[in-house]
Amino acid sequence: MRHRLRDPITGLLFVLPMLVLFLIFKIFPTLGAAGMSLTNWNIGGEWSFIGADNYTRLVNDPNFWSSLQATLVYTVIYVPLVMAVSLATALLLNSIVFLRGLFRGILFLPYVTSFVFAGLIWRWIYEFDGLINGVLAKLDLGPVGFMERAELVLPALAVVSCWKGFGYSMLILLAGLKAIPGSYLEAAKVDGAGPWQRFRGITLPLLKPAIFFVLVIETISSFQVFDTIYVMTGGGPAKASYTLIYGIFERGFRFWEFGYAATWGMVLFAIVLVVSLIQRRFIGKENT
Amino acid sequence: MTMTATRPAAVRDRQATRPRRHGRRWPLYTLLAVMSLLTLGPFAAMIVVALSPRGEPTVPAQWPGSLTLDNVVQVLRASGFAEWTLNSLIYSGVSVVIILLTASMAGYAFAKKRFPGRDTMLWTFLATMMVPFQATLIPLYVLVSDFDGADTFWGLIVPTLANSQAVFLMRQFILGLPDELFDAAKVDGASELRVYWTIVVPLTKPILATLGVFVFLWHWNDFLWPLVISQSDATRTLTVGLTVLKTEEMQWSLLMSSAAVSAVPCLVVFFLLQRYLVNSIAMTGLK
Repeated sequence: MRHRLRDPITGLLFVLPMLVLFLIFKIFPTLGAAGMSLTNWNIGGEWSFIGADNYTRLVNDPNFWSSLQATLVYTVIYVPLVMAVSLATALLLNSIVFLRGLFRGILFLPYVTSFVFAGLIWRWIYEFDGLINGVLAKLDLGPVGFMERAELVLPALAVVSCWKGFGYSMLILLAGLKAIPGSYLEAAKVDGAGPWQRFRGITLPLLKPAIFFVLVIETISSFQVFDTIYVMTGGGPAKASYTLIYGIFERGFRFWEFGYAATWGMVLFAIVLVVSLIQRRFIGKENT
Repeated sequence: MTMTATRPAAVRDRQATRPRRHGRRWPLYTLLAVMSLLTLGPFAAMIVVALSPRGEPTVPAQWPGSLTLDNVVQVLRASGFAEWTLNSLIYSGVSVVIILLTASMAGYAFAKKRFPGRDTMLWTFLATMMVPFQATLIPLYVLVSDFDGADTFWGLIVPTLANSQAVFLMRQFILGLPDELFDAAKVDGASELRVYWTIVVPLTKPILATLGVFVFLWHWNDFLWPLVISQSDATRTLTVGLTVLKTEEMQWSLLMSSAAVSAVPCLVVFFLLQRYLVNSIAMTGLK
């Protein structure tokens, strides 16, 4: 009995360090972001309450709409690309036994590096005197200005993120594939189902939770793209790669309009919240 | 389980008698080889450019006349580079130690203790996962600079320590440990700190190791927060330093050498712990 009485206090004491960190550096800034978005906070720390003015400004700000468009276009390119690559590699790895560990290791390798690292290497690959244009020149083609042409820059950036990041989704999908009982597939095979029928009838439905999980995290991560853009394009050319996060960064740390930058942050928060809630609705229930 | 255990033998038998089986597999291996080449290509290109002599045109798709380590040596000696590396090590190392400690303590309390507000707290911790870091960037920066934390190590490190994923993972793991262990220790009169140190910590070593590796990689590769909070070489990390090098009109051979050197710790961690890392992602779904 004595021990149980001690529990409430020791429990709280053990949580305390993390709780303090959380209150100060997560909860407070989250509320702070909502509050700041209603002020004209600037670099001097002076501010006054301006109500929804930042939001009206946002709605009338062509920069905001073009950045939202750039972010959405990037998402529409990146998400299918990374889904296709990670699903294809997961299926391939799941169908082999010999050398599986080696291939899995190679394909996962870029994941442990940083987006800054990936951005630097790919910047050189896309340069006018870089790898791709060098190969094109040998074939008497090109050169192609991947970072200079507005319509090419977002696909080019999506490829970089996919190269760096698909390994993680691949592993989640691979784990999902391994959880499918082999007897189901064997039975279908005995019944005369071909590979495509087995994939559509058994693998795909059973893999759905894993696919959905990966879809959600990749969608969220595509809304948060920043490092590669900072290293590779600086938001250009002509704001073609000027995404939401780039907008937050530039509003905050180039123009020092903290209040207005916080407003941009709230939009990002709202988008990520909606995507997360959809995830909870669809797979939260099944998993808990 | 038995199926996967017997499959390789079965495949081998069939291959011996029926070469058709083997023939069906080669397209898979060809595809995987192509994917692997595409994955490794940028690394290989980086290494070739990094080892090409400076000044000599590093024409792409053409092997350089000779290879040299000069660039790597110059990068290692360049002003700032050693300092940035040390800063990255401090940023990652200190974060690993503190996060492992605070997250395992919180995880233990959430899993095995009863105290008022526990479930609300846990729920709030989890809910903050939905708040993207970038949305709180501005207030966080204002908060830290108001306390003169800009361009200091505490300003760089402390705000990144509130890690809900780490707490959640520790809680899930400790939840699976049998209650009897803790009861027995308490009956023996062990203090709570002793229980934590002699039971919780040793039993959670596998998850602590996994989490430690991930926290190290996350912090080593982190960019946006160090970018806004580090303003001089005193606290600048490697990722931020590399972008500074880039803006200084540096030659590609030097830039690629710097990139290669900066990735070495991640690659070492990867090669040492590959199997382990890969399995833990698949099981826990770590970010």
